[in-house]
This record gives sequence, structure tokens and C-alpha cells, in this order.
Amino acid sequence: MITAFYILFAFGLFSIVLHRTFLLKPFALLGLGLSFVYTLSGASENVKLFELIVEIVLFAVVLHESDEISITQTLFIGAASILLLESKSLLSFVIAFESLSLISVILVSQIKTKDQAEGAVKMFIASALATGILFLGLSFYVMGGGVLLEPLKAENSMFETIGVFIMLIALFYKLTIVPFHGWAADTYAKVSHSHAALLSGVAKTVVVIASFNIFAPFLAENLDFANPLIITVALITMTLGNFLALFRENLAQMLSYSSIAHAGYMILAFVAVQSEYAKDGILYMSIAYIFMQSAAFLVLDILRKSYKIRNLKELSGFSKQSPLLAALFSIQLLSLAGIPLLAGFLGKAVLFYAVVDAGLWWVVLIALLNSALSVAYYAWVIKSIYFDALDTQKVYFANIRSSVMAQIILVAGTLYFGIFAGLVFGT
Amino acid sequence: MSGIELIFTPIAVSAFLALFFRGDNALSKYVALAIFTYMLNFSIALFAQLPSEGYLQLGTFLNVEKFNFALTLQVDMLSSIMLTLTSILLILVALSSWSMKKQSLYFSLLIMFSGAIFGVFMSTNFLWFFIFWELTLVPMYFLVGIWGAERRVYAAVKFFLYTHVASMFILLAFFLIYKESGVFDMTLVKEGMLLSPVLIWWLLFIGFAVKMPIFPFHTWLPDAHVQAPAPVSVLLAGVLLKMGAYAMIRMVIIMLPETSQKYAWVILTLGLITMFYSAFMAIYETHLKKMVAYSSISHMGLVVVAISTLSYSGLSAALYEMIGHAFIIAPLFLIAGFFHSKTGSWQMEDMGGIMQKAPYVSAIFVLAGLGALGLPGTMGFVGELSILISSIKSFGLWMVIVALGSMLGAGYIIWTLRRVVYGEMSEVVKSTKFSMNTIEFIALAVFALFIILFGLFPNLLFEYINPAFSQFNLLGGAL
Repeated sequence: MITAFYILFAFGLFSIVLHRTFLLKPFALLGLGLSFVYTLSGASENVKLFELIVEIVLFAVVLHESDEISITQTLFIGAASILLLESKSLLSFVIAFESLSLISVILVSQIKTKDQAEGAVKMFIASALATGILFLGLSFYVMGGGVLLEPLKAENSMFETIGVFIMLIALFYKLTIVPFHGWAADTYAKVSHSHAALLSGVAKTVVVIASFNIFAPFLAENLDFANPLIITVALITMTLGNFLALFRENLAQMLSYSSIAHAGYMILAFVAVQSEYAKDGILYMSIAYIFMQSAAFLVLDILRKSYKIRNLKELSGFSKQSPLLAALFSIQLLSLAGIPLLAGFLGKAVLFYAVVDAGLWWVVLIALLNSALSVAYYAWVIKSIYFDALDTQKVYFANIRSSVMAQIILVAGTLYFGIFAGLVFGT
Repeated sequence: MSGIELIFTPIAVSAFLALFFRGDNALSKYVALAIFTYMLNFSIALFAQLPSEGYLQLGTFLNVEKFNFALTLQVDMLSSIMLTLTSILLILVALSSWSMKKQSLYFSLLIMFSGAIFGVFMSTNFLWFFIFWELTLVPMYFLVGIWGAERRVYAAVKFFLYTHVASMFILLAFFLIYKESGVFDMTLVKEGMLLSPVLIWWLLFIGFAVKMPIFPFHTWLPDAHVQAPAPVSVLLAGVLLKMGAYAMIRMVIIMLPETSQKYAWVILTLGLITMFYSAFMAIYETHLKKMVAYSSISHMGLVVVAISTLSYSGLSAALYEMIGHAFIIAPLFLIAGFFHSKTGSWQMEDMGGIMQKAPYVSAIFVLAGLGALGLPGTMGFVGELSILISSIKSFGLWMVIVALGSMLGAGYIIWTLRRVVYGEMSEVVKSTKFSMNTIEFIALAVFALFIILFGLFPNLLFEYINPAFSQFNLLGGAL
């Protein structure tokens, strides 16, 4: 059933042996390729597409990555993601969720600078807190008569319902929902950019899909109570995220805040559970997001490593220096902004339609205006890249051929899912 | 011939050209011209195939059954006319930007724009319509931002944001329509299916009003028009604003006739305000291109007044005026840009007496100006007269105030001609050599030819325009 998990786990373990040899990267890519093949034949139908896409994105990440430990970690993240996506009972969900957190913490704890230490510590504390809260909720749930080895449902007592809500808070910690977003902006911006791509691109979407699958039936039964709460935090999250992302000089900070804003859009699916489109919406949004967000952070990684660019100002006239990379970056940014013919637009469109379908058109109006507002800062980056003059030719530090290949894989995903919606809707 | 290749081929070709050819490589120029000519050929061929009732089906692609999300391409007389107008303008714009700098990227953006705009006029699925509607912003953003004048960045970002925010209202309206009617195709929606037509009407109206633009949502246009390079201003006025008017006619007036009748007074009032406000602004303006931009908005106000009649004659007049406006405002923009590039100034006081230096170009400027003020024998006259008649028919005799708008038009146009083309030759003009690229001049001459041809023989156009609305059920707008 979850052969892909075993493959990735085994490849992850064995890849440690291959450190310091040129075989590591091909080996990791082979592992991801094999798991792709096995996922194709043996995954649960409802998450199959997303697992395949996670593997494709991780393939691109490994292709891009030059750090050996990170390559191994990426394989483990893939394994945990598949476990989390495949989990059907509450217990397996909790275990997989915790292993993903643990691996994420280990991933960011490869500290090389002070900044990275700050990001890692914040992430560690947030994860520990989230774990504590999750177990608090879990114990309430069990005390109320919930069974761990079955899918989540609350029909026995009040305590169960309270327990589930507490567990939701733990998830909101991971999903960087306001007011639990404080750690994310710093962590994403300060740890290595390729790690941020894994955290904000891959881990976040995996958690959102898995928790939607687990929690949707519960939320559908508790609409009256849950909806006002989730709508409030979702709207605050997207608005705050977008406003904080405006006027950021540091590109990574801008992307981190935009990631918080996107979390706000994503949990809108949680209030639309009674709509038949909610599942398609969250799936589409996650697919779009995993491609564009990972790609954007990986571009930042290239910019930092090869051109020593961190800030918006240094990016001016970049299109004259490296037209291909500039074009790839701009496409991903336009997709994040929700410009059509790119996946970001259709993801948002289907997700927001689900919310309209659930009867909450005014929520969608606010979300859409937020999305339009976000164009301001993405368009500003593109303005720097294309409209401003190149002051000094940037020095070129490293070979980026495989990183560009990774970017091309990711941009293919963004473009494909921007035009062809059939796969997501299962036709 | 299904039409889908006219949407996606240009987009793919433009990406290819932008990535592999740089600088002043002339290849994309010729590719652009070839594609636009093929588009014109395609659009003209459509007229022969159109059925007398309903739509000509071009095909359905990329069907997603669950979401009713399919790229349905179908055209009727209205969209065929828009397609023809667009492709003619695209060809002439390509010709008049023949010696543009950084040609390769410029023309590949034009090609991308052409694909998106054909998508807008051909697709009737709401979501695909919206996709192409928004996609037109991207090339426009780059065209204004890279080739524009001094404040191009401000203008480009403002244009992008302003119209994108407006589009969000449109998208929400589409979602509501789909939720309430279960139909995702604009040709199948009937007003009776909708539960909240008033809300949807307002969302759509605001969204399209920004694009047209209607007062008070017009503030992006003067900036974008002035900062954009002259050929791009032509595209903005001739294609982008027409896109707004087309959507307003198709999705507000035709799709929601009853609510439109209820709010006809809103459309009428805003149309009149737009017309008079921008006419007064144009009189006040000493910046040549801003004057042209305000005169363009003023003419769109006239179109809005015509639309608000909700009658067959009114909509036909609106469509005629849209075409006329495109052909008249284009040479004004192009020549204003030409004068600027030669004299280095936008201020009218720096010009004067250009007629003696550049008689042919100035003559076309005068002709287009006279068209804008509605001189008999030009397209402007026919457009304004038919709008006047149809609005008097619908709203009563007090609509003669529309004629007052034309008088204001005469005011600013004649005064501008006096200051720019005739009068004392200024120092700047004396020391400037006015010479124009032959190809660019040919484009201007074609515009001039159209202004006179369709002005003298309006039936050549009305023959096609009149049947465009006969298949729809219009209520006619009494106040």
C-alpha cells in the first residue's frame, strides 16, 4: 500500500552511506523516481495525484540541492509526507504529522549563520508548542470517548469536540495561521532558502491536504460553531500577511509573508466543506502552491548563492543579466499573484468558487480583493527585474545548470495546471 | 479552422520569440505581421459562415465536466465585428511601431496580447473569458512599463492594479452566476435563472465600468495613455476599452436586460458625467497627449450613453461609435507621439505651425481631429448623430444635451489644432526636422482612409452592425 514510503525511507537511510561521493544525487533521484512509479500503481485514489506531485517537486528540489545532508533530509521529508497523506485514522495522522515536524526541525537545524540559528530556534519552539497542543487536544478527545484507531468523528461527548478544536489550533500553528504565524515569517526568511522551499512549499501543502481529509467530516457537522471562527482567522491571516508583505525590501521576507497570506486562502476550504468543490479547491490550490512557492524559494536560493542577491534593490535590471532565470522567476511570481493561464489562478478560482458555493460570497469578495492587493508586491518585484536599469553586472559565482533544470520542471507544473484542469477534477 | 490556434499559437510563439531572440532582431516583427494578417483573414472569413440566429460554434476544448469548465469558442456578429476591428488595429499598430527599440521583445508581447484578446472575443465560458480578460493585462503591463515615458513605472503598476482589482468583482459575479444558475456559459444564462440579479449586475457593472472607463473609475486611463508609447496607447484606446464596452453590452445589457432597465438611469447619468467631465478636462489640458486621452474618454462616455438606451438602434449606434472612436483616436495618438518625439515636448505652447513643416502628417491630424468633433463626412459625425437620435428616441427631447458634448469637442479640438498645427511657428518647431518613416505614414493614411470611407458610406458598416443585435431580446430603456 505505501510502498512509496518504504522506498523513500530506505533510500534516505542508505543515502547517508553515499555522502561525499558523486553518487548521492543520482541515487536520491532514483529513489524519488522509484517511489513515483510505485505511487502510480499503489496509492489511495483520493491523494494519489498530490503524492505524485509532491514527488515531482521533491525531485526538482533534490536536483537543485547541492548540500548533501539536505538531500538525505529531502528523502525523509518525502517519506513522512506520503505517510501523512496516506493516514486514515487519527493515530496514524498524529504520528505522521509529528514525524514530519521532527524532520523539518532537523532540516533547519543545519546552522551556519546566526540568522539561521534564530530561524531554527523559532521553528523548534513553535513545533514543540504545536506538539504539546496537539497532544492536549488528543487527550481531551480520548477522554471524551474518541477512538484513536478510527477516523476522526465527534459524536460521543462535548470533550471530543473540544479536543478536536484544540487539535485544529495545533494544525494552525503549522499552517502559520494568525495569531500563530509569528514564527513562520522569521523561520522562512532566515533559514536556507532551499529549506524554506521545503517548509513553506511542500510541508505546508501536505499538512493542509492531510488535515483537510481528516477534519472535513467533523467540520461539516459543526459548521455553526466552526465557521465563524475559521472565517475570522482566515480573513485576518490573508489581510495581515498581504499587508506585511508590502514594502518588504528583503525578498525572502516578502515570500514568507505571502506564504502566510496563502495559508489564509487555503483554510477557506475548511469553511466550505459542505460544498462538493471544497476538496477540488484545496487540492488545486495546494498543487498550484507547491509548484510556485517551492520554485520561488529555489530561485531565491540561486540568487543568493550565485549572484549574492538578497534584496529587491539588487534585483534591478536582472532580466538583462539572466533573461531565462528572470522569466522563470516572473512566471512563478505572476502565478503567486493569481494571474491567469498559470496554476495559481485556477487554484484560487476553484477554491474561491467552493466558498461561494457554500454561500459565503462576501468572504470571497474580501479574499479576492486581498489577492488583488498581493499583485502590488509581486508586480513590484517584476518591475525591478524588467523595468529598472542594470547598475552593475553581478558577479557569477556558481554553476546553476541543474538548478535551472529544476526550475524548468517546476514551471512546467505551473503552466500545465494553469491550462489543463482535468487531472485535478479526476477526468 | 477552429479558432483555438489563434489563441494559443500566438501565446506559445511569443514565449519562444521572447526567449530566443533579443534586442532589435527583426524576426518577431514579421512573425507578428503574419499572425495579425492571418487573424484578419480568419475574422473576415467568419462573416460568411455566421448563421442568421444564434452562434457559430467553433468547438469546445479542455472540457472539465464537474466544473463546467470548458473552453467553448463561439462567435456571433458582435464578436466577429470586434475580432475584425481588433485585427485591423493590430496590423496598423504593428506597422506604426515599425522602428520601435528592443523590437524583439516588443513584438512578441504584441503577439501575446493578440492571442489573449482573441480569446476574450471568442470564448463564451465565463472562466475562460476571465482568464483571457486578465491575461491581456500582462503584455500591457510590460509594454507600458518598458517602452513608456518618464513615469512609466507608476502608470504601469497603477494600470495593472486598478484593473485587476476591478476584475475581482467580475470574477465574483461569474461565481455567483454559476452557483445560482448552474450554467457557466454566457450565452446560456437567462436572467430568470438568477436569484440575486441586482448584486450580480452591480458587480459586473463596476468591473466593466473600470475598463471602459466610466467616471469615477477612469483615473487609471489618463496615466496609462500618457505614459504608454503611442502605438500602445492606440491598443489601449482601440482594443482594451472596446473590450470593456463589448463585455458591458454582452454581459450586462444582453444577459441581464431587466435589471439593466431598472438601472438604465445609472448608466445614463454616469455616461453623461463621463462625457462632459472629460470634455472639460480636455479643454483645460495643455498637454497634447492628455488632451487626446480625455477626448478618448469623452467619446467612450458617448458610447455609454448609447448603451444606456438598451434599444436596437442605441446599441447599433454604440457599436458604430466604438469602431469610429478606434479609427479616429488612433491617428491622434500616433501623431501626438510623433510630434513629441520630434519636438521633445508635450506642451502645446512649444508646438505651433507644424503644418508648414510636416503638411501630410498634420493634414491627417486635422482630419482625425475633425472626425473627433463630429464633422459631417467623417465617422465621428455618423456616430454622434445616430447616438443623438437613438437617445432622444429613448429618453426624450432633453437628450439634445448630447449635442452639447460635441460642441465641447469642437471647442477643444479646434483650439488644439490652432495651437499645434496652425498658428505661429515656435522656436522648437523651426529647428526641428519632421520626417516620418514611410511604413508608419502608410498606417496613418489607412486610418484616415477609414475615417472618410465609413463616414461617407456608413451603410458599409451598418449592414453588419444592425443584424448584430437583432437576435437578442432587448427591452428598451425608458426612464
